[in-house]
Amino acid sequence: MADWFAENGLLLGLALLDGLAYAALVFMVAVGLNLVFGVLRIVNVAHGSLFAIGAYTAASIGIFFASRGLPPWMSYVALVLAAVAVGAVLGPLIEKLLLRRIYGHEDVLQLLVTFALFMILEDVQKLIWGVQPISQDTPLRFLGTVDVPFGEDVIPFTAYQLFVLPGVAVATLLALAWFLRRTLTGRVIVAVTTDKEAATAMGIDAARIMLLTFTFGAGLAALGGALASPTTALVPGVGAQTIVLSFAVVATAGLGQIEGAALTSLLIGLGRSIAVYFAPEFEVVVPYLIMVAVLLVRPQGLFGVIETRRV
Amino acid sequence: MLELSGVSVDIAGIRVLRGVSLAVPPGGRVALIGRNGAGKTTTLRALMGLLPVREGRVALDGQDATTTPAHHRARLGIGYAPEERRLFGSFSVRENMLLPAEVLRLPRPETARRLEAVFTLLPELRELAPRRAAGLSGGQGKMVALGRALMVGTRAVLLDEPFQGLAPALAMRYAEALARLHQALPEVAILITESNPELLRSLVEATYVIERGEMAPA
Ligand SMILES: Nc1ncnc2c1ncn2[C@@H]1O[C@H](COP(=O)(O)OP(=O)(O)OP(=O)(O)O)[C@@H](O)[C@H]1O
Ligand SMILES: [Mg+2]
Repeated sequence: MADWFAENGLLLGLALLDGLAYAALVFMVAVGLNLVFGVLRIVNVAHGSLFAIGAYTAASIGIFFASRGLPPWMSYVALVLAAVAVGAVLGPLIEKLLLRRIYGHEDVLQLLVTFALFMILEDVQKLIWGVQPISQDTPLRFLGTVDVPFGEDVIPFTAYQLFVLPGVAVATLLALAWFLRRTLTGRVIVAVTTDKEAATAMGIDAARIMLLTFTFGAGLAALGGALASPTTALVPGVGAQTIVLSFAVVATAGLGQIEGAALTSLLIGLGRSIAVYFAPEFEVVVPYLIMVAVLLVRPQGLFGVIETRRV
Repeated sequence: MLELSGVSVDIAGIRVLRGVSLAVPPGGRVALIGRNGAGKTTTLRALMGLLPVREGRVALDGQDATTTPAHHRARLGIGYAPEERRLFGSFSVRENMLLPAEVLRLPRPETARRLEAVFTLLPELRELAPRRAAGLSGGQGKMVALGRALMVGTRAVLLDEPFQGLAPALAMRYAEALARLHQALPEVAILITESNPELLRSLVEATYVIERGEMAPA
């Protein structure tokens, strides 16, 4: 054991740090997916596209800012701007033109429609941003690296991935928990999630809440993408990868609790990155192994409550 | 006056209500009696605007309300206690009761006044107020659902089979609460559905009977 650590300790440390940063991004996407499903009762396959478009838009704005000679800290403004823009434009557009027409329809139809949307958005991305990798890592370089002590060694790790990503995820979790619990709009969202018809009879305009929630969820996905953009070269396919992981998170966590989604993101993020470092051939399957293992024991998910469905 | 005239409703492409007509006068207490599957719940949902009306008319005090959006009906003073209590489980009893008042943006003093009036009418709710709704028993839940409906139901409350599943002692308490309600707030109309016509005899002034989605002689 001691020998193993002497040899692999550093790698494990890196895997943990990487996993934490990655979990933060997965959480941003999964929590939005969870919220949107709760209110709209639609599994939005195109949720990952919003992540990808958020990432590309952030990079484009960042590159534009740099070309104008704006200071590097402005690249952070670019991230936020991208998230807000993508959420505010694509959110209402998708909800009003597409989703609104399929509420309450069979699951298969809903899956097909959002899958079609995913395919369309993939092509739109290629049309706008091409297929060549795009990099814009000013936010990452701006904060530099930190030497993280790990046993005898130090691991140099970017401050952006160490602090900014987990920080934003934790802040999102806390803010969201507060919002859903303490504000009227938050409680109304919870009410519609619990029982749309009863909520409507209380005077709640469910259609408005669905639009609002979808826009908000789209913004969260885009923010996740924007935050991810400095850490990687953007290529077609990032959307698919993200959505698949966040499905695993949502299924493993079960529906309903955002704290559950956060812990599960951590579990799956760490699991995946440990696989990346120690058994790269399992990278893709580890999240699903975790998911299957959990669902075998607890079909409602780690934190899900068993729903009594009424017809 | 709450009125359905010749209302037909389809669910999943099947006609469930055929020309249903009934009228609930202001402050009136009316029963809608029917067997399982007769269309009682569907009638109340149509009144609440939760299902589209294919034919016929829904009217409130003579004003046509057939196409008034469902979420506006609470604003018109109609409270609804659905069949299975359908409370918001993660909220406390108090939060459940306050939600419709908050959604309608009632002034605080008015909300407080209504809450107090409901507590006076249904004293057990005062003790239950801080409890999580998910942890209530069936009978307690029905009381809370009634209280919640009364928070907005200044003109009428629609109660869907409130007695079903209640133990006799609880059913008695619920009936007493309804009698007190009529005394304390005589202007509030009450429409109750039930499968057993005997049960409501002393509580209501008028009875309608529904059979297979159609009105039948009482
Ligand atoms: N969601 C639905 N899909 C298909 N059919 C439905 C649906 N809801 C109700 N129905 C049908 O409509 C008819 C009336 O149902 P409704 O729920 O109004 O009856 P009810 O009088 O309230 O019965 P119960 O005493 O069981 O509550 C029934 O035949 C039922 O099968
Ligand atoms: Mg019924």
